[in-house]
Amino acid sequence: MNIVISRDELLKRLSDIQSIVDKKTTMPILGHFLMSTGESSFISATDLETAIKEPINPAEVKEGGDLCIPARKLFEIVKEVEGDVSMESEGQEWLRIGAGRSSFRLACMNPDDFPKWPKLADSISIRMGSEKLLEMIELTLYAAGESDTRYTLNSLLFHIRPDVKRFTVVGTDGHRLAAIDDTVELATDREMKVIIPRKSASELRRFLSSEAVTVRMQIAPNHASFVIGDVEFLVRLIEGTYPDYEQVIPEGNEKRVVITREEFIKSLRRVSVISRERSNAVKMDLSPGLLKISASNPDIGDASDEIAVDYQGEAISLGFNARYLLDALNALTEEKVVFELQEPLTPTLLRDGRQDYRCVIMPMRI
Amino acid sequence: MRTMLLVDMDAFFASVEQRRNPALRGRPIGVIGSDHRTVITTASYEARRYGVKTGMNIYEAKRLCPGLVLVIGDNDRYIHTSEALKDLYLRYTPEVEIYSVDEAFLDITGSCHLFGGPLEVGRRIKEEVKGLFGINATVGIGPNRVVAKLAAELSKPDGLRWIKAEEVEGVLADLPTEMLWGVGRRVSERLRAIGITRCGELGRAPAGLLRARFGIVGERLKALGQGREPEARDRCGEGVRSIGHSTTFPRDLCSPAEMEGWILRLSEMVGSRARRHGLGGRTVSVVVRYRSFETFSRRKGMGQATNDTHRIFHTAMDILNSAGLKEPVRLLGVVISGIEPVSGQVPIFEEQRRRAALLEAVDGVNRRHGPFTLTWAPCLKRLRKGVIAPAWRPSGVRRSL
Repeated sequence: MNIVISRDELLKRLSDIQSIVDKKTTMPILGHFLMSTGESSFISATDLETAIKEPINPAEVKEGGDLCIPARKLFEIVKEVEGDVSMESEGQEWLRIGAGRSSFRLACMNPDDFPKWPKLADSISIRMGSEKLLEMIELTLYAAGESDTRYTLNSLLFHIRPDVKRFTVVGTDGHRLAAIDDTVELATDREMKVIIPRKSASELRRFLSSEAVTVRMQIAPNHASFVIGDVEFLVRLIEGTYPDYEQVIPEGNEKRVVITREEFIKSLRRVSVISRERSNAVKMDLSPGLLKISASNPDIGDASDEIAVDYQGEAISLGFNARYLLDALNALTEEKVVFELQEPLTPTLLRDGRQDYRCVIMPMRI
Repeated sequence: MRTMLLVDMDAFFASVEQRRNPALRGRPIGVIGSDHRTVITTASYEARRYGVKTGMNIYEAKRLCPGLVLVIGDNDRYIHTSEALKDLYLRYTPEVEIYSVDEAFLDITGSCHLFGGPLEVGRRIKEEVKGLFGINATVGIGPNRVVAKLAAELSKPDGLRWIKAEEVEGVLADLPTEMLWGVGRRVSERLRAIGITRCGELGRAPAGLLRARFGIVGERLKALGQGREPEARDRCGEGVRSIGHSTTFPRDLCSPAEMEGWILRLSEMVGSRARRHGLGGRTVSVVVRYRSFETFSRRKGMGQATNDTHRIFHTAMDILNSAGLKEPVRLLGVVISGIEPVSGQVPIFEEQRRRAALLEAVDGVNRRHGPFTLTWAPCLKRLRKGVIAPAWRPSGVRRSL
């Protein structure tokens, strides 16, 4: 391999892959990225859970070839140098880097040892707008679990239902849940439920722009791939069973409260000043026209706040983790939100005018 | 005013062995966990006279007492005896708390008049224990468990003492603090550093000072110094940083698979104890001690604070499986840390709610009938094997400091 590439091009591509490259050197090769140059050139990096492949445009390819280059070190070098960068391999062991009057030599690894990009057999394909997928991930990822022992919860569920032409993304940590639907046309009649690791979903989010780019999603039994413009993103799916989310989304909760979202947020934030050190439990006393939010902490003191709401039903008191309510309220966007309740310890539903997005929050015992 | 009675078996394991084998009676004996182990679990009073103590290794013990006879303990027998003793106690009151394998608290407030008063209950229990099991027991009686325990401490072996409520202050006034239940040598030393050596002084010390020095424990210390029973820690759990249990295997184990049952058992001990206190932990640590006594621990986070036995168990197994054990293991411990009160957050999925309800039901049964009465099958295999510490008690944790 012998190429010349502009510093800015190389820097941008390298910065894209830095967070995927494994920092823990359990397998040294994962601290490297694969650079492949020739008629079409690309770089590829993986942590065995997420992989990315993106094209790279050298100014000149004197001689094509593949090499596994230490990702972190090359990135640090490129950040410091100026002008075009020349990269020339010495066998498969060394890379010579030149820029201006600087030169470096980096120990490399054999490209044959780099994990192979899997072929996605038996897959179904969905096309959707990048901004839509981004929205679906952002509105559900906050509710997903993080380093939970029930590892299937540290993820997002992608549920594809050709029968109703629906694609749903779900996140839950076992206490709250967010689900968002999109209508899709599918060339298959096979229902699929795949589990995307949280970390992969959050990496993927970085590559999804809010511009109108089409994303081609390909979902196979073990992997999902996302082609966004010229970047290809691959995720190894989590094996296991995702809990039955549809069952916990309450339909027909009878107590319906309409609340001004902004007021609700402010009130919760005020009261949780007192509650936040512990479980962040706040008590909500709902009566016709009035919502009283209160908290008490034996070490600090107590707080209460009231907001006028649109509610006609009977009085009810229930407890919540204020954080869960705030996360959901921040994900909603409209001026008014609808809070649907039933019993003090049954699932509650928080939504605004749009029908495709639902936030379920489980109350606390108080 | 309550009347609490503590029955404390004298050198329990050793006494049981001496009862079983007449040849051992009157001789200094030391009970050890297994023939692979070298630590004295209990020494008979004959051996104690030579200075042989619990926790001492056999070489040192033999040096102090060359005639020492080593006997391999049999937990089945001790637990069996302990259970038989409980039946005996139940004839005097329904309120029996088995505090450890050889200690039980009897609340005789409402029943002692039927037998001629507290001292008479104590005398009869001692007599029956001696008659039926051939074991000397010490009985301490007081207005609460702390004083009952102290009365027993002050009168063992083969003692019987009743410290009445009005006598408590006088008894405590000049007593060294380390005589108090739950005040160890280290705490005594720290108390000495602030000029407190006697229980009376401890009882009068300003709560603020003790709190500043010892945190929440300070208030408990003050209560102990006054001969009051500190409020159970269950209420708040402040000051608890970790909850853990460990066990030494009867023989060294090599693979994580062999240790699975033990880990489950330790996880249940940790989980049930945390549940009783309304606490959960965010992190699980596994402590491993190799045959060479090299000891290390590894930890892993669990996302949310939990006290669910299964989640602790699975995390602990993950740790063990990725630890890459290099030597046979003699001791394992499971600890949860990052302790916080578990919130009343209801799980969203039915399965989790059922699990919580199941654990609650299991805990209820075990609280009433002793730990591991209702438990997971893999625990049963291990239950009657291995070394139990003299501090063993059915409910797993001491409520002292």
